[in-house]
Amino acid sequence: MISDIIFIGLSFFAIAGALTMIFHTIPIYSALGLLISVLSIAGLFALLSATFMFMVQIIVYAGAIMTIILFILMFLNIKEENLPKEPKKNLYIIVGFILILPINYLIIKSISLLPDSNMNIVQENFGGIKEFGIKLYQEWLIPFELISILLLVALIGAVVLAKQRTIKKIKND
Amino acid sequence: MMTNTSYLLWIILVPIIGALLNTLFYFYNIKINKIPQVIFSLIGTITPFISFILTLKLFFILFNDGINNNIILEQNLFKWLEVDSLDINMALLGDKLSIFMAMFITFVGWLIHIYAIGYMHKDEGFGKFFAYFNLFLASMLILVLANNPIIMFIGWEGVGVCSYLLISFYYTKEENVIAGNKAFIVNRIGDFGLILGMVTLFFGIYETSFTFIDMEKNLIIGSVEIVTVSAFLLFIGAMGKSAQIPLHVWLPDAMAGPTPISALIHAATMVTAGVYMVARFHFLYSYVENVGIFIAYIGALSALFAAIIATKQTDIKKILAYSTMSQLGYMFIAVGLGFYNWALFHVFTHAFFKAMLFMGAGGIIIALHHEQNIFKIAQNRKKLPIISATFLIGVIAISGIPPFSGFFSKDAILTAAFAKEEYLIWSIAMITAFLTAFYMFRLYFILFIAPNNNKDKKYVYTSKTITIPLIILAIGSIFAGFLNVPAILGGSFYIDVWLKQLNSSSIHLSHLTEYILIFSSVTISILGIYIAYKKYARYDVYNLENENGIIGNKFYIDEIYDYIFVKSIKKASRFISNIIDNKIIDNSLMSLSYGFVNVSKKIITIKNSHVRYYTLYMLTGISIISLYLCIKLLGK
Amino acid sequence: MTNLMGYSIVSMILFSIGTIGVISRRNIFIIYMSIELMLNGINLFLVTFARYHFNMDGQILAMMTIAIAAAEAAIFLSVIILLFRTKKSLDTNIFNKLSKETK
Repeated sequence: MISDIIFIGLSFFAIAGALTMIFHTIPIYSALGLLISVLSIAGLFALLSATFMFMVQIIVYAGAIMTIILFILMFLNIKEENLPKEPKKNLYIIVGFILILPINYLIIKSISLLPDSNMNIVQENFGGIKEFGIKLYQEWLIPFELISILLLVALIGAVVLAKQRTIKKIKND
Repeated sequence: MMTNTSYLLWIILVPIIGALLNTLFYFYNIKINKIPQVIFSLIGTITPFISFILTLKLFFILFNDGINNNIILEQNLFKWLEVDSLDINMALLGDKLSIFMAMFITFVGWLIHIYAIGYMHKDEGFGKFFAYFNLFLASMLILVLANNPIIMFIGWEGVGVCSYLLISFYYTKEENVIAGNKAFIVNRIGDFGLILGMVTLFFGIYETSFTFIDMEKNLIIGSVEIVTVSAFLLFIGAMGKSAQIPLHVWLPDAMAGPTPISALIHAATMVTAGVYMVARFHFLYSYVENVGIFIAYIGALSALFAAIIATKQTDIKKILAYSTMSQLGYMFIAVGLGFYNWALFHVFTHAFFKAMLFMGAGGIIIALHHEQNIFKIAQNRKKLPIISATFLIGVIAISGIPPFSGFFSKDAILTAAFAKEEYLIWSIAMITAFLTAFYMFRLYFILFIAPNNNKDKKYVYTSKTITIPLIILAIGSIFAGFLNVPAILGGSFYIDVWLKQLNSSSIHLSHLTEYILIFSSVTISILGIYIAYKKYARYDVYNLENENGIIGNKFYIDEIYDYIFVKSIKKASRFISNIIDNKIIDNSLMSLSYGFVNVSKKIITIKNSHVRYYTLYMLTGISIISLYLCIKLLGK
Repeated sequence: MTNLMGYSIVSMILFSIGTIGVISRRNIFIIYMSIELMLNGINLFLVTFARYHFNMDGQILAMMTIAIAAAEAAIFLSVIILLFRTKKSLDTNIFNKLSKETK
C-alpha cells in the first residue's frame, strides 16, 4: 500500500524532471531537472531492494556526473548569444513522440505477456553489498577489470582532449 | 490478244539514259571542264528521236494487223508488289490508245527538243535543261504506257516533279521558284484525290489483278456508289493536272519557266495527262454517267472562264496559257459526255498548234530580248516572216476555221454536246469559241498587223533550230485534221476507228442538223475575228492596255485562295509552332527533367552532415520495424 | 502498482523522453543530458528484471553501465569544451563539415 504511494511519487518526480530537461532552453534548468530525475530513479532502485545500486546511483550519478555537468556549464560562461535558436523544437518533439509510440507499445505488450510475480521489498540476501561483491568477483571478474581499464582510458583521454594546445603561428612572408 | 514485245521498255528507257548521261556530263561540266553544248544537245535530241522511231515501229505492227483485230502489245517486266491480295506488276501496255498518245508525244517532244537548242543557247544550265527535259519525256511515256493505275501514278508524279524542276529553272529569281512551288502544291492536292480514287477503286472492283484490262472485265462486281465515288475522286486528280476550275491557279504562273517548257509541258503533253487518264478509265465513266456530266460542266466553265480572262491579258505567254486552259475545257466536255475519241482527237490537234504558237511566241521573245508584253513587242510581220506566218496558221487553227485541223476537232466536240442534248454546255462552248477567236486574233493583230514604229528595235537573229520545227508543226496543224474527217463531209473517221476500243458514244443527228451546227460554229468564229479586227487592227500600240478590273485581275481567284487557305494554314502552323511546340510540349518535357532534378535535390538533403538527423532516421527505422513486429507477432 | 508493468512503463517513458530529447534539441548540453537519461531508463529496466528474476546479474550490469556513463561523461564534456573554444556556440547544426553542401 505505502509502497504504491512511494512508487507513484517517485515516478512522478522522475518523469517531471525528464520533461523539464527537454523543454527548457536554458541549460542550467535542464541540468537541475535531470538531477531531480536521477535522484528519483535512485529512490526507485531502493524500492526494488537494490540498496547498493541506490547508493552508487546517488554517489556516482548525482554526485559526480551531475556535478561535473553543472561545473562545466558554469565554467563555459554561456551567454544568450551562444545558445542556439531552436524554432522548430516543439514540432520535432511531437514528431519524435509519434515515432516513439510503436516501440513502446511493442515492448510493453511483450512484457505484459510475462507472468506476474511478487516485487515486494526483500530485506536480506538480495541487493545488498555482500551479494553484490560475491557476484561481481566470482562471475563478473573480467568485465570488472575491463571496466577499470576503460576508466583509465577515459581519464587519459579527457586530459589529452582538454589540454590547451599551443597554437603554432605560420607566418607568411 | 496479247503479244509480248520488248520495245516498249526501250521507248521509256532511252530518254532515261539520255537524262542520266546529260546529268553526268553536266556535273563534269560544272566541276571539271567545260563541255561544248553540242554534246548536250546531241544526246538530248537523239533520245526522243529514237523513242519516236520505236513508237512508229510498234504503230506499224498494230496497223498492219488490221483495224479489226484487237492486238495488244504488252511487256511484263517484273513483279513489283505483292501485299496480301494486291498484286502489282511493273508492266507496260501498248494498245492503240497508248501508242496513239506516245506517237504524238515523242514527235512533238522531239521537235521541241530541237527548238530548245536554239532557245536555250545562251543559258548556263544548258545541259541541266536537257537532262530534265529527257526525264520529263520518260515520265510522260511511263504515264501513257502504263499497265495499271499504280504505274500510271508513277509517271503522273514524275511529270509533276519535272514540271516543278523546269518551271523553277531560272531559280535565281524568287518568283520563278514560287511559281514552281505553286504548281507542285496545287498538283499535289489533285494527286490526293487521285490516290483516294485508286484506293476506292481497289476496294470496289479488284478481283484478279489491278491492270486496266482486268478491271474493265471486273467492273460489274462493284456497286454503283463505289464506282461513282472513285470516278469523282480520280477526276479531282485530273483537275489538278489539267488545270481545270478550281485547281487551275498554277497554270498562268507556270509561264515563268522557259518557253520550250511551256510549249511541251503545258501545251502538248502534261496537261493532257488528265484527259488521257479519263479516257483510260473510260469503262468507269461510261458506267456512271452522272460524274461524266459533272466533268463536262467543269470543262465548260473552265473554258469560258479562261477565255474571259484571256481577253484582257497583256503577257503573250499568259494569253497562250489561258487559251490552253480553255481548250482543255473543251477536251473535258468531250470526255465527260462520253466522246473519248473526239477528245483525244482534239488533244492531238491541239498539241500541234499550241506547241507551234508557244514556240513562235518564244521566238519573238528571244528576238526581242525577253520582253513579254505584247504591246511592247509588236512589230512588222516582214521582219520575222516565218514566225509570223506560222503564228497566223496557229491562230486560224485554234479559232476553228476550216480546213485547218482545229476546225475538225472543235466542231466535233460542239456537235457532240448538242447531240447529247446538253444545250447549256453547247451554248457555253459556242460563246467560248467566239471569245477564243476574238482574243487569239487580238494577239495576232497587235503583234503583227497594228501599225507601230518599232523599227529601232534590235533583233537577234533567229536560228534555223527555231524556225524549222515551227514549219513542221505548221504542216501538222494544217493537215492533222484530215485524219478524222466526219462522214458527212466525206471523210472516213480514221482516228475514231483506231480508238474503237473506247466505246465512245455516237451521235444520232440528222445531216441537216449537223450542217447547221458546222455552219453556226464557223460563223461564230468569223464574228470573233471580225470584232477583233475592228478593234485592234488599227490599234495604236503605244496605248498600253493595263490589267485592271475584275477580269484583268483574273477574277481575284488567287487572292481568294490566298486569303482562305494560305493565310489560315500559316496561322495554324505559326500557332502550333509557337504555342504548342514551345510552350506546351517543351515546357512539359523540360519540367519533367527539372522536376526530376529538383526532387533529387530534395532527396539529397537527407544526407546532410547533421548527426541529429541521422538519429531521427534511425528512430524512424526502428519505429517502422517495431510497428511491423507489433502487427505480425502480437497479432493485433 | 509496484509490479513489473509499473516499473516497465516508467522505464520506457524515461527512455522515450530521452530519445525525444536527442532528436529534437539542438543544444549540445541537452543532447548529452538526454543520453544520460536514456541510460538511466535502461538501468531501471535492468534492476527491475533483476528483482523479477531474483538474480543479481541485472544489478551488476547496471553497475557497469554507470561506470561507462561516468567515462563517457569525462570524454563528452572535454569535447564540448573543445568545440566551444573554437566555435563559441553550442549549436550542433553548425558542425556540418561531414558533407558537401549541394547548391
